[in-house]
Order: sequence, then structure tokens, then C-alpha cells
Amino acid sequence: MSVETIAVGLGELKCGTRPEQVLVCYGLGSCIGLALYDAVARVGVMVHVVLPESSLSRGQVVQPGKFGDTAIPAAIAEAVKLGAVRSRLVARIAGGARMLNIVGAGSKLDIGSRNCDAVKSQLQEHGIRLTGDDTGGTYGRTLQLFVGTGRLLVSTVGRGEREL
Amino acid sequence: MDLTHAELEALYSIVQKGLNDSSRALSSMTTGGIQLQDPRLQFLSLAVVPNIAGGPEKVVVAVYLGIEGDLNGHLMLLFTQESGLRVVDMLMEMPPGSTRQLDELAVSGLAELGNICCSSFLNALSDRTGLTIVPTTPVVVVDMAGAILESVVTELYLNGDEVLVVETGFNGEIPGHYLLMPDQDSMARLVAALEEIE
Repeated sequence: MSVETIAVGLGELKCGTRPEQVLVCYGLGSCIGLALYDAVARVGVMVHVVLPESSLSRGQVVQPGKFGDTAIPAAIAEAVKLGAVRSRLVARIAGGARMLNIVGAGSKLDIGSRNCDAVKSQLQEHGIRLTGDDTGGTYGRTLQLFVGTGRLLVSTVGRGEREL
Repeated sequence: MDLTHAELEALYSIVQKGLNDSSRALSSMTTGGIQLQDPRLQFLSLAVVPNIAGGPEKVVVAVYLGIEGDLNGHLMLLFTQESGLRVVDMLMEMPPGSTRQLDELAVSGLAELGNICCSSFLNALSDRTGLTIVPTTPVVVVDMAGAILESVVTELYLNGDEVLVVETGFNGEIPGHYLLMPDQDSMARLVAALEEIE
């Protein structure tokens, strides 16, 4: 079985329904990679969330995946549309780092922790269980969701790999 | 942001002057070892910015400085790990291959390189426009290019989906990226200041 890699870029939302598919957020810094998965339907959705709130945007929101408050409902809707059952969906997240560690926490560049809080509170609000969380710190992460098995792999530079 | 052709030309010319000053400062410090190439000005969609230094997963040595004052934005130097070490050799006037790891000394050398690039560039800009612009203290990070770049562009994302990226490289001996990303309000102020002096 050949692997089909689907890259999920900044603000994008991508879905996988076939076992050979792997959804990937490459090089997450302050952004959050969110993986929603239904283990029975084997449906996976990945979003690369850039900012916490759509109210921060000056323009119209055209890409729901960009903001925490619009990404979660959009991801749930996509998963359900592809055959997932809402109550079976579980969420795992990674990223939300503070890459440039000059700036103390709370500075304009510490958007990572704000992203993290926003995504978590949105998941709670929509009643989606968070079963894996590898967020914060000052280093980048690549997140891979194997659609066939639901395996979620976080890899880093110099800090190894871990499964969520 | 919509710029007229004339505004874009004025912007290009001032960026080039600033970079020429950077280049001269670097060159005099390294006895001609390090020079900057002609810049490219591009408006890039923010989604593609994390890909500009060889792909989001490419491990890079990044030197980052924030730009504050009348102009706000970001300046970044990105090197492969190999050329990061090589640039330290040049700064320290040591034979190539002398620096083998990014220890404290190497990191402070790279931070100094960031200071020189940024301050000479900003001084050139200040002198010609009268704007007050100051750099923050440089930070040196080794990690995935995408992770570093996206953390910087998120802030610019608030104002739209495109950002002006000024990109230049160092001379062939040390491949690297020199990126300058002002926010949109700053660009408007810069363009206004340029029009005033025309």
C-alpha cells in the first residue's frame, strides 16, 4: 500500500477517509495542529490553526481553518459529512510553541499559548474529548495523522518523536 | 496592500540603499568575506511564507530581530546549519571548518551578525525618511524553518493575507536568506515618508 501524504498548510483544513492517507502539519510553531478522528468510521480531519479568534481579523473570514473559533465547528462538520459520528470524535492537538524566546510570555509574539487556550475551550464548548495534548515549549513540531489506524505522531528537531 | 508602480519603485530603491549599507558594514568587518546580493521584493501569501527557506521541515539556524518604533516588522537571517557555522568562521576570521557546533561563542557571533545587518539597514532607512526605528535584541534559534517563520507571520496575518517579503542572499560562499517583513501599517507609513522626500 503506497502512502498518500496530504500536507495541511497554514489555515487549511484537510480530510482523510482512506487508510493509505496521512494528514500532515509540517513545522508547527505557534500554530496548533488539530487532529479529529473517528476510530470506527476511520475518518480523520486535520486543521492548521493560525490565530485564536476570528474577531482579530480585519477582513472577512474566508478560511475557517485559520482561527480557533471557526476551525473547530468546521472540522466537526467536515468529519460528520464524511461519515464520522460526532459522539465518537476525539481530538488531539500539538504546537502552540513560543519559538522566539526573547519575548516574555504575553508579548505580541506569544500567540502560541493563546491559540492553545482558544482551541481547548472551543473543543470543550463543542463537547469534543481531548485525548492527546503536546503543546507549549519553545520548539517546532511536525504532526502526522495516519488515517487507517488513527496513529498520531509528533516529531521534533533534537527532541525525538512521540505518539499522542 | 495596493501600491502604485512609483511607490513600489521608491520602496525598492530605499530597501536597496539600506541593504547596500548592510553589505558594506558586513564586508568591512569580514574583509570582503560577506556581501549581500540584490534584493527581491515580493508580496507573498502568508500561507506560503513558511516554505521559503527550503521547506517547512528544513532545519535552519535563524537570527531574529524585531523592528519597532515608527515602523514595525521582522528581520530574519536564515542559514542551513552548515552555512551557519561557516558564517561564524568568517566573522571570527578563522579558517573554514573551525566552528563545529553552535556553542555560546558561535551564537553570540550570529547575534552580532544580526545586529550589524539590522542596524545598518535601519539607519539607512531612518536617515532618509526621518522615521525612528529600533531593533530588538537578536535571538538565535535552531529549528524547523516552518515553525520559526509561521510564528513570525501569524502577527502579520491579522492585517491581511499577504505580506511584503524582501529577500536577499549572502554571496555564493554562504547561502542564506535575509528576510524583511514589515506590517501593513508600517508599509503605509514608509511609503508616505518616501513620498514626502520625493
